[in-house]
Amino acid sequence: MSAVAPVAASLSPGVSRHRLQWTALAVLLIAACALPFLVSNYRTFQFTLVLVYAIALLGLNILTGYNGQISLGHGAFYAIGAYVAAILMDRFGVPYWATVPIAGALCLVVGFLFGLPALRLEGHYLALATFALGVTMPQLLKNKALEHWTGGVQGIVIVKPDAPFGLKLSPDQWLYLFTLAITVLMFVVGWNLIRGRVGRALVAIRDHPIAASAMGIDTARYKSLAFGISAMYTGVAGSLGAIAIQFVAPDSFVIGLSIGLLTGIVIGGLASIPGALFGAFFIQFIPNIADQISKAAPWAIYGIFLIGFMFLMPMGINGAIRLGWARLRHRLSAQRKGG
Amino acid sequence: MEAFLHQLLGGLATGGIYASVALALVMIHQATHLLNFAQGEMAMFSTYIAWALINAGVPYWVAFFLTIAFAFLLGLAIQHFLMRNLRSTSVLQLVIVFIGLIVIFNSVAGWIFTYTIKDFPSPFPKGYLFGQKYLSPHELGAIGVTMVVLTLLWAFFRFTSLGLAMRAAAQNPVSSRLVGIRVAWMLALGWGLAAAIGAVAGMMVAPIVYLDPNMMAGILLYAFAAALIGGIDSPGGAVVGGFLVGVLENLLGAYVVGNELKLGVALVLIIGVLLVKPSGLFGSVQVTRV
Amino acid sequence: MSTPLLEVVDLHAGYGLTRVLHGISFSMEEGSITTLLGANGAGKTTTLRALCAMIRPQGEVRFRGERVDSRATEDIVRLGIGHVPEGRGTFVHLSTEENLRLGAYVRKDRAAVEQDFDRIYGYFPRLAERRRQQAGTLSGGEQQMLAVSRALMLRPRLLLLDEPSFGLAPLIVRELFEILRTINQKEGVSILLIEQNAAMALDLADQAYLIETGRVVLSGSAAEVRNNDAVRASYLGY
Repeated sequence: MSAVAPVAASLSPGVSRHRLQWTALAVLLIAACALPFLVSNYRTFQFTLVLVYAIALLGLNILTGYNGQISLGHGAFYAIGAYVAAILMDRFGVPYWATVPIAGALCLVVGFLFGLPALRLEGHYLALATFALGVTMPQLLKNKALEHWTGGVQGIVIVKPDAPFGLKLSPDQWLYLFTLAITVLMFVVGWNLIRGRVGRALVAIRDHPIAASAMGIDTARYKSLAFGISAMYTGVAGSLGAIAIQFVAPDSFVIGLSIGLLTGIVIGGLASIPGALFGAFFIQFIPNIADQISKAAPWAIYGIFLIGFMFLMPMGINGAIRLGWARLRHRLSAQRKGG
Repeated sequence: MEAFLHQLLGGLATGGIYASVALALVMIHQATHLLNFAQGEMAMFSTYIAWALINAGVPYWVAFFLTIAFAFLLGLAIQHFLMRNLRSTSVLQLVIVFIGLIVIFNSVAGWIFTYTIKDFPSPFPKGYLFGQKYLSPHELGAIGVTMVVLTLLWAFFRFTSLGLAMRAAAQNPVSSRLVGIRVAWMLALGWGLAAAIGAVAGMMVAPIVYLDPNMMAGILLYAFAAALIGGIDSPGGAVVGGFLVGVLENLLGAYVVGNELKLGVALVLIIGVLLVKPSGLFGSVQVTRV
Repeated sequence: MSTPLLEVVDLHAGYGLTRVLHGISFSMEEGSITTLLGANGAGKTTTLRALCAMIRPQGEVRFRGERVDSRATEDIVRLGIGHVPEGRGTFVHLSTEENLRLGAYVRKDRAAVEQDFDRIYGYFPRLAERRRQQAGTLSGGEQQMLAVSRALMLRPRLLLLDEPSFGLAPLIVRELFEILRTINQKEGVSILLIEQNAAMALDLADQAYLIETGRVVLSGSAAEVRNNDAVRASYLGY
């Protein structure tokens, strides 16, 4: 059921490849930091959302890409994170930067608890269960009984924070940098997680659960843990997203969000860390592009994009890049040998 | 008590429609091991075609059968031109393709036919039949049509050579080739039949829920739940599941949680069933050797 | 000299990068029983698969003079080649009778097909007893008989059998081979038999070919091959 890139970096001769990767990463980071000063506030806001989605997609990838548990309901965790941030900021005056870890912690627990009964479900059954979660969440948020907290159908409006310490940054610029810092943190944590014992256990469980438990891996614990960690990431993303958009309402978190997240990880590249970033770019910008191509039926264009990607790049953008890179190296080394 | 019976029987009527769509889902799953998420949107699109024909003055039953033919060809075309060329991709990648199809059908329907809700005619006479007032004539008619479709389908698979060949191709494509069955055609045929069934379901449900591009979304979800609760490999289970889900939806909506939450709660209940019996009520437990 | 029923010339085939056949050549006369012998992995099953286009070979395969090596499996079946595959390939969820009916799928002569049911049940009465039973619940021996019967329902000119004795008790194998001999003699069905059980195969066959690592290393009449010292030592155990 999995057709994904391997976890461990492929063995390649020499240090040159690693050095190339680190250089590329450094360049990327510098460019990311410089970005808000080069483009308009609106674009900065859009890129903030790209970072937000990247965190969410990394979370979903941990669960679905690396651990093989399909979730069609991660929008629910995103919504929880968003509402936690909004409620804490609006009703309790909690500072924005504190809401992010709280949202993460809460979603970690909720995700883990959801992961427990989910242990019994596989494949389409799990998909249906998570789908139910994704569908029910907006209905719950609209519910009269919770209206006092959630603001019902109207939702909650929050204020974007100003830059601290009197820095000469616009709120959009500051929020972007704040989000960037958290994104880098989450990615580093995620990278270590996946490279380490936990990551290997998750992949083993995905590829051959029986062999994994025969090797002594506590499958149940790791699978629930995967749910929890994945929910935590998505909750963090949700809180950041709420602060960026300055608004939460039930209809922002309909099932389309969950489906969009799943689309993002497949298009970006399952079981890959860069894939989360590629996928985030896709779900943030492709709908806009589709809208520009056809005002009448933009989603039809989006659908064509989706199908096209699956034909041309079944392994996602990350997979296509790896493939292209491998082919290039092969051709270069063949030339060197043949020469 | 009257209200209860009303809800119960109404649930059976909608249950019949869920049963048809669930059956279409199970059929494609048996043949291809894929769950056709786009089934609902294809049915919706076909129903719009029917609406266009009727609006152009075509008599109902002529439009009905023309639409079925259209849907059949549509299903055939999608399998032959799209799905067939996607051979060696994983489940998730196929899910994305289905999402793409859903979004395309939905968007094109909205573009061609607009999003305003339309009336769709019912071929059945007005006025409650048989002196009872629980089921409207259309609901009765819908159950009837569903039963006819299901029976025809059962007979097709059970008694015809082509039906046998399709079952064989779904179960064991390699051996099927060895007896001369053109497996690729069988797959296309399966898709065509499933699409045709979906179109019938769409035309039966449209008079009740009114025609708009998002008409089938909830129905598809319930049909999925029905197929899973019946056991994804059991056509009979899909039918039973459909009726069960229909009744459950109505009773929950009326007595327990109100209409808004009934979708979520129904799903949660179904998951509850699956936790107890993961392969569904009639599904066979797949024993896989290590 | 009439055209041979089956002519295989310089067949190369394999699975992906693994090449298994390195130039197999042999032929069969109409009405004969020919056996391909060899150890595990020699390429016998691969040969049969290549004949039926289950994998794509390089080289020539001629059936009754016509080239068939680039045709699809479904078309090769329609030429009258019935294949009883390794592992039997039973349709386990269908009944015995449905399995047999599928064997006759490409035939258009309905009345004759019904007669063939009786004929097959005559050869294999145990299948008649179990005709409505789900095929997957039949015993190994019965499933093998079912697989052979299914191929016979085609009224094939050539029957390909891949290790029919595998996993069967010797008594049942003997019974099966007797029926094969009868079918060959009474109905003129040519048989290409792959077997690891060399002794029984050489007993039944007219012609034999020995395959080792994808090449034909010995050929001749069954009697000749049986008496070959190397064969006796390696494959017959005496």
